Amino acid sequence: MQLLEDFLANLSSHPRSCCLVEGGLRLSYREVAEKAGGVARQLLTLTLPEGYPVAVALPRGIDATCAVLGILASGRCYLPLDLKAPRLRQRWILEDSRAVAVIGHAPWNDLTLPWITIDTISPTPLEPLPLEMENLAAILYTSGSTGTPKGVALSHRAIHAFSDWAKELVSLGPEDRIAAIAPLHFDLSTFDLFSSLSSGASIHFLPEGLTIAPSHLTAWLSDTAITGFYSVPSLLSFWSWKGNLSASPLPDLRFLLFAGETFPTARLRQLAGYLPHTRLYNLYGPTETNVCCHWPVERETLDSDHPIPIGYPACGDRLYIAPRHNELWVQGPTLASGYWQQGQLHPFLNEEGWYQTGDRVGRNDQGEYVYRGRLDRMLKVSGHRVEPAEIEAALLSLPQVIECAVVGIEDWEGIRPAAAVVMQQDEAIPTIRALLKRTLPTYMLPSTIRRLDSLPRLSNGKPDLVSIQAILTR
Amino acid sequence: MTDIRAKLRGFVLEELVYCEDPDTFSDDEDLLEAGLDSLGIMRLIMFAEREFGITLPDTEIEPDMVRNFNALTGWIESHRQ
Repeated sequence: MQLLEDFLANLSSHPRSCCLVEGGLRLSYREVAEKAGGVARQLLTLTLPEGYPVAVALPRGIDATCAVLGILASGRCYLPLDLKAPRLRQRWILEDSRAVAVIGHAPWNDLTLPWITIDTISPTPLEPLPLEMENLAAILYTSGSTGTPKGVALSHRAIHAFSDWAKELVSLGPEDRIAAIAPLHFDLSTFDLFSSLSSGASIHFLPEGLTIAPSHLTAWLSDTAITGFYSVPSLLSFWSWKGNLSASPLPDLRFLLFAGETFPTARLRQLAGYLPHTRLYNLYGPTETNVCCHWPVERETLDSDHPIPIGYPACGDRLYIAPRHNELWVQGPTLASGYWQQGQLHPFLNEEGWYQTGDRVGRNDQGEYVYRGRLDRMLKVSGHRVEPAEIEAALLSLPQVIECAVVGIEDWEGIRPAAAVVMQQDEAIPTIRALLKRTLPTYMLPSTIRRLDSLPRLSNGKPDLVSIQAILTR
Repeated sequence: MTDIRAKLRGFVLEELVYCEDPDTFSDDEDLLEAGLDSLGIMRLIMFAEREFGITLPDTEIEPDMVRNFNALTGWIESHRQ
């Protein structure tokens, strides 16, 4: 039993059905399986150390999907790299993960790891190695509170528990045409890949550039007759605001899933108004739990501007509100196996066997779970996890910076990181910006960097983050 | 026009795009390659509509309009008349 089982069942019953579409390229289930089989065979012919991931250095699309399926079939787990992040960060992740090979297009210079060029793969029948459900399937790196990125290690069991639940939730079937928007290093992509392929649906990769052209996105969804997709509220907000939706109803769009941050109620109300026949779902969960809570949007409750709830337990997970700080604890089948750091798995459950999310929650009058904020400093920026400590570590690694503090500042379009820095004389902020850009991905770059003579501090000596936030918001 | 360009440059180079030296960032340099992403463009459009009292039509929002400061300034200017 493993994650690919339902895909294989669809392969044998409908080998010629449409599976993956990217631009003008369209592959059937059989063609996808054969390309993945070629990847698996090539991996098996290399004698690679057991127990480490194979990295995927490809953008979302047909090649990347075939690479993922091939890696899984070869009995290994995949590590998707964020190709938009600085190369330094990608290399750091390759080293930390102890990845044993990379699949991509042209090999990178100065990389000693075995490199598989996806473009030269010859089709081979797909014969996945037998696996246990507890075997690792994916390692997704996110921002880490200790100052460096950390890998979240997901087993076949964990991904299957979510993908199978989501498939049932939206009644996915072979007729569905799913738009894949999320990059592979985002846990949202596990729906695109595994819920879709296990239900015989086809995946349509969003053409590059459409996320910044909302009305073109609408036209593409309409022309492609997309029946559902899974994205983040910030993208959906932009789409709802400027997507020309009033002039272009999307009759084929059956459902929309969103997660990663709170959807502002007014914007969701606007979107729900444009899509009267589309079922909307708010999914919730940190990468460590994938989705553990969900709320099928009840349109009649959107009239007030109250934040929408995160709803009810999902995927067979159990939720518990620990009394001390009203922190949400989670147990259940979607939980990751642990953190992957320096090539090793580190379990993250507490002594009682729960994962402590660090999210403060409550229950409303209807008994629905409601998100109330973080217990620590973590920020969600357009669905990305951003740990201020990681930005601080990047700032402090610069010789120009003496001390610094990073906080989240909120305005009409969401939360962004901002930094207060104390610097050596004669250093300019643009220099700091340019240096930061070499190590941090775009969504982690502080939108405001302000130079202070010293950081305001509390009586215990720690930076006074409330005052710093006030200074940076001004 | 100069005023619009200066305001757009100020906002984009201060808040949305990281560059070595804002003063030497040229008006035909590619903003999308410099890191302007979808969230940045949403913020840019909100800024432009509020700052210049205009409404930018949905169907005009596409990469070529925000590709560089020359294109962006021309686009905003065309809605002020």
